[in-house]
Amino acid sequence: MVQPVRHIVIVGGGTAGWLTAGVIAAKHRARMGAEFTVTLVESPSTPIIGVGEGTWPTLRSTLARIGVSETEFFRKCEAAFKQGARFARWTTGAADDFYYHPLMLPQSFAQLNLVPHWLARDDGRSFCDAVCPQGRLCDDGLAPKTIATAEFEAVANYSYHLDAGKFAAFLQAHCCEKLGVRQVLADVQRVNLAPGGDILSLTTPQAGEIAGDLFVDCTGFKALLIGETLGVPFKECGDVLFCDRALAVQVPYASEATPIACQTISTAQSAGWIWDIGLPARRGVGHVYSSRHISDEQAERELRDYLGAAGRDLPVRKLVIPAGHRETFWKRNCVAVGLAAGFLEPLEASAIVLIELSAKLIAEQLPVCREVMDLIAARFNATTHYRWGRIIDFLKLHYVLTKRTDSAFWRDNLLPETIPDRLQDLLLLWSHQSPWFHDEFDRVEEVFPAASYQYVLYGMGFRTQVEPAALSGDAKNAERALRENAIQTERLRAGLPRHRELIRKIVEHGMQTV
Amino acid sequence: MPNLQLLNPQTHGHLRLRRAAEAAPHFVQVLAPEFQAAATCCPILFTKDPETGGFYAGAMFGFKPGENLLGSPEDRGGFHPLMLQREGFFMSERNIAIDRDHARFSEHEGEPLFNEAHEPGNSLRAIQRTLGEIHHGLERTKSFIAELTALKLIEAIEISLKFENGERLTLQGLYTVSLDGLRDVEDAAAIRLFRAGDLQLAYSMAGSLKQIPRLARLREQQQLPAS
Repeated sequence: MVQPVRHIVIVGGGTAGWLTAGVIAAKHRARMGAEFTVTLVESPSTPIIGVGEGTWPTLRSTLARIGVSETEFFRKCEAAFKQGARFARWTTGAADDFYYHPLMLPQSFAQLNLVPHWLARDDGRSFCDAVCPQGRLCDDGLAPKTIATAEFEAVANYSYHLDAGKFAAFLQAHCCEKLGVRQVLADVQRVNLAPGGDILSLTTPQAGEIAGDLFVDCTGFKALLIGETLGVPFKECGDVLFCDRALAVQVPYASEATPIACQTISTAQSAGWIWDIGLPARRGVGHVYSSRHISDEQAERELRDYLGAAGRDLPVRKLVIPAGHRETFWKRNCVAVGLAAGFLEPLEASAIVLIELSAKLIAEQLPVCREVMDLIAARFNATTHYRWGRIIDFLKLHYVLTKRTDSAFWRDNLLPETIPDRLQDLLLLWSHQSPWFHDEFDRVEEVFPAASYQYVLYGMGFRTQVEPAALSGDAKNAERALRENAIQTERLRAGLPRHRELIRKIVEHGMQTV
Repeated sequence: MPNLQLLNPQTHGHLRLRRAAEAAPHFVQVLAPEFQAAATCCPILFTKDPETGGFYAGAMFGFKPGENLLGSPEDRGGFHPLMLQREGFFMSERNIAIDRDHARFSEHEGEPLFNEAHEPGNSLRAIQRTLGEIHHGLERTKSFIAELTALKLIEAIEISLKFENGERLTLQGLYTVSLDGLRDVEDAAAIRLFRAGDLQLAYSMAGSLKQIPRLARLREQQQLPAS
């Protein structure tokens, strides 16, 4: 007799728990009820770790899919728009050293690869500005859409910056009120295993025993189910990505009219980097650094230097953030999502997008019965391993392209033994031919598309050999695409509102759904 | 910038009112009580207020700015949008304000706004009625749009036109009532729409789309060289 999977129990109520609950419940909306349940067990006392407040544009479709209103999301989650990241002082460390990794694809990306054409011109324009309007929009402090653009639709591609604590509460209300997710406020005292090793139930003092067919571990760094109970080890990758500490601070604005940056600002330091994220009411700023290279005191000094007078007396919160992930993400009838699965420095805002991708995979491939669960688990593990690997490569790319030699941290990042083999191969390949969307990145729902690699590579001064003769066939099309980009840039700059102004209007008037 | 002044006989006793201009812009806001009259001569579509993103309804007289294919109110079977009739006048709380610099106001030409006893003359009384209708019509339109929005019955419509001289026009940012959506509303909502008069407004708007090809034909005819 088959053992059906009908009762999903999620443990942990942060962004990971509630997003996963929402995605599963929305996908299985038609059969939610007594026969199919999604239960989220949340400790009434454990605080939520705000795992970084940057997101990827995937969150737009995720939010739309679970049926929330984007207007309400802006009103309740202290949300702002994000159009990419501005990396300062990563290449040379000079005061004027910066590049953008925007969210819009290069002009005509599906038709042709503009990289070699841009390289051949060598006219001093940055790659980003030559092929995409978004860097200029960020420079101008403009929003990616207007108040007349429908919810979740973009004029310029965007994601969000948000307050993770408020976001979890917002999702909780939606999941419970609209999607039929059951919330249980209780502490897990004991995890009970079946003879075969599957998780049978949770024992809680507040709500008694909670049984389930599939358990999702969203308990954060604690990894209560996947780690403590099932013993899946944590695989560190500190040998590749050195940062293991963070100091976080919330910085108020000088006035209510201070412009809100529409991009994450990431400024390299002596042994790490500082994130700077603009929300409507405050900035979230933090220093991510390698404790093997500088002391906490020195890291705090660099953070305070960055903040200047604005940050003089602000309290700083210290976080220990070991880089790495579980050796297996789905074991038996337990799958880990969020920090329980792993953590990487928030350099490219990969935390929430990984939650979304995992939740989507679980919801879409949800095993019908226990008998097929191991097959789905194997698929899930293969895909998720691939994703973590690609994110690690992509984050490391930011470090290996540096020309900085001013501290041991930057020099150590260039040591070949710290660079994954696959990335070394790619760098060799890319020195002869530039990445484009066919090569290499062939997976459906690739975390970072080839365009992202282009922006980082050529933003940081990487050079690929170009053979002018090989370009002539496409020269006219490239010419046209670059011209179109210039026209589009000016049109958008003239037509888009200021970022803060648009958020004010969204809160006041709301956006239409069409 | 309009030069707004609260209308009063002491300051404006000498003012006269010219007839409102008959030329109409290509797209004019219309209010729910006008839908039936408007639908007999032109398409009625929703568009968004660029300041707030909120929907309003408009009568389309032409396909691009400066183009009015429907001539004078007589050519339109007498339909003349309230928003054009009230040109130069505004409501300020319960008072009437005027744009003193508007071309309709003159000291020599047109009908006097006030009589010798400083009471409103016929022209001003007509304006007062118009402003009253606008006030009521705006409320009515607002509730209609709110109901359609709540039921997700507004959908985008892209209008692409090709003319014999090779010109192509694509009109964007326009919306109409979704007839598919309307067919799918639950019975309770259908009765509510019917009782409120919203159903009739919805079908007026949807039916008025048939005026688009007629407008396009008028445009072809008007572009022919005069014979």
